[in-house]
Amino acid sequence: MNHYKEMQPGSKPIKRAYVALMLWFVGRAIEAAARVDGVVKAEFDGLSPGFTFSLGVMPQGPTMIVGKDDQGLVRYRGWDPEGQKIDLKMKIKNLEGAILMFTFQESTALATARNRLIVDGEVPAACAIVRVLDIVEVYLLPKLIAKLAVKRYPDWFFGEKIRNRIRIYAGAVFGL
Amino acid sequence: MDLPGYYEYYCGVKIIAGHDALERIPVILQDLHACRPMIVTDKGVAGAGLVDIVLGAVKDQLTIGAVADDVPPDSDLRVVNRLAALYREQDCDALIAVGGGSVMDTAKGINIVVSEGADDLMKFSGAGALKRPLKPLVAVPTTAGTGSEVTLVAVVKDHERHLKMAFVSYFLLPDVSILDSRMTLSLPAAITAATGMDALTHAIEAYYGLSKNPLSDATALAAIRLISRNLVEVTRNPSDREARLAMANAAALAGMAFSNSMVGMVHTLGHATGSVCGVPHGVCMAILLPYGLEYNRHKREAIMGELLFPMGGSDVFAGTHKEQRTDRVIAYVRQMNQDLHDASGGRHARFFKEVLDREGKPAVPRGRLPDIARTALGDGSIFYNPEDLDYDDFLMVLEAAWEGVALDSGRIRK
Repeated sequence: MNHYKEMQPGSKPIKRAYVALMLWFVGRAIEAAARVDGVVKAEFDGLSPGFTFSLGVMPQGPTMIVGKDDQGLVRYRGWDPEGQKIDLKMKIKNLEGAILMFTFQESTALATARNRLIVDGEVPAACAIVRVLDIVEVYLLPKLIAKLAVKRYPDWFFGEKIRNRIRIYAGAVFGL
Repeated sequence: MDLPGYYEYYCGVKIIAGHDALERIPVILQDLHACRPMIVTDKGVAGAGLVDIVLGAVKDQLTIGAVADDVPPDSDLRVVNRLAALYREQDCDALIAVGGGSVMDTAKGINIVVSEGADDLMKFSGAGALKRPLKPLVAVPTTAGTGSEVTLVAVVKDHERHLKMAFVSYFLLPDVSILDSRMTLSLPAAITAATGMDALTHAIEAYYGLSKNPLSDATALAAIRLISRNLVEVTRNPSDREARLAMANAAALAGMAFSNSMVGMVHTLGHATGSVCGVPHGVCMAILLPYGLEYNRHKREAIMGELLFPMGGSDVFAGTHKEQRTDRVIAYVRQMNQDLHDASGGRHARFFKEVLDREGKPAVPRGRLPDIARTALGDGSIFYNPEDLDYDDFLMVLEAAWEGVALDSGRIRK
């Protein structure tokens, strides 16, 4: 009988670390944006009390979890879904799909259109979260790159955008 | 042709089309190792004599285990569970769905329950819950529009808990769909027009949407060609069997296109209008389709221009300057609505203020447009639309569609 060596898929540690870093940063930026941007706050206000969602890569992560606390404030809740009640799970089917998204070669909409995302939960909530992600990406990225990530670059007042961008970066990096 | 960097396409449904296609059902079921099907239908279909036509076509060759003709206009969880029990009691081994979207969805729901040996359909909602093939399902559509005879989705409502549950699986695709001209011959003109425009919307939105791909493009273009040549004609002359068969084929082709390339803002707003005001889906599609083209044209100008070829034919296409083709496509769709309005004796609505409910009152009061716009924000079909829409954009489109005026291109944010 032949013996075949069991093959393990490559773990791609650099790509995985990059996606994990991006998820960590975006998760914290969402928390900051919910304090700073009225539209993001309104989107979360429209979701059920305690609403929590995750965005992660199949099969083993990385993942970010964001949810509303008892006071209705939006909080980044880390990467470990263990023990957390998650209302909406958005899962990117594989690491390569996540790389395309987080290097902004593919917008969230195009990734959805190309069936790279699995959404487990209420569709209206998923629509709200995609709108939030689009707004946060516009704050975090230079216009040239953000235009690749969203369908339509918003026509915001320049001063307000810069002011909010600084506050969101400060919140995401330093937790301010 | 611009190829997408990545796409997925699947259609595993055998199509049998013809003026006497129903007669093939016994052999089809034999091939699927079934001999005692249950027919699922609704009172309207049965009352129109369509089930009798099916029974007449299969008599002497097949034993029908049961005929369940009480499917409601909106698929219902309790009905699904009850009919699944009937299927078991009568020792059936296959399903024949004769009807429109609700009947197809109900039959798919029954199939999940009986195949999985379950007692409650809700255990299988969402994507990926089904792991193995189901019992044989033969779909016999009685309208030419929804395309549900080739789609992998079933939507069943739990009216007690006010929930609408979607079931998504390749195992929900019917094994065989029968497109027989006899099934749509008695369809009233206004329903023929609206369901035909639903099929046209499936094809057009699939063709210019974000998930477009070469395979769904091929079926979309074939559908548009058939609809352009036959829909107005069959609305004027409902007994035209050739045109009826052409429309049945068109609806299935459009179904293959949109079940792989999905749909966009026309459906987003159509679902919301149906949900808030109860307007039939096909009516919403007919009214909103020109606005989907107008709103997205700055992102899809060249692709939309290509639609003039299947719509107007080679001479019109070649004789129209490239930059004017999208204008002509939009004008063509509006003219089609006008022709259908005339052909149906004014019963085919061209804009929302013209839509009446069963009591003859306006079905879409202008004051409800903000509610429709808010509801649209939660519809997943918007992901596949080329351009983004927020509440203000939805409202702008709805107001134009209510009045029946073209979109002001200066108000479309780019």
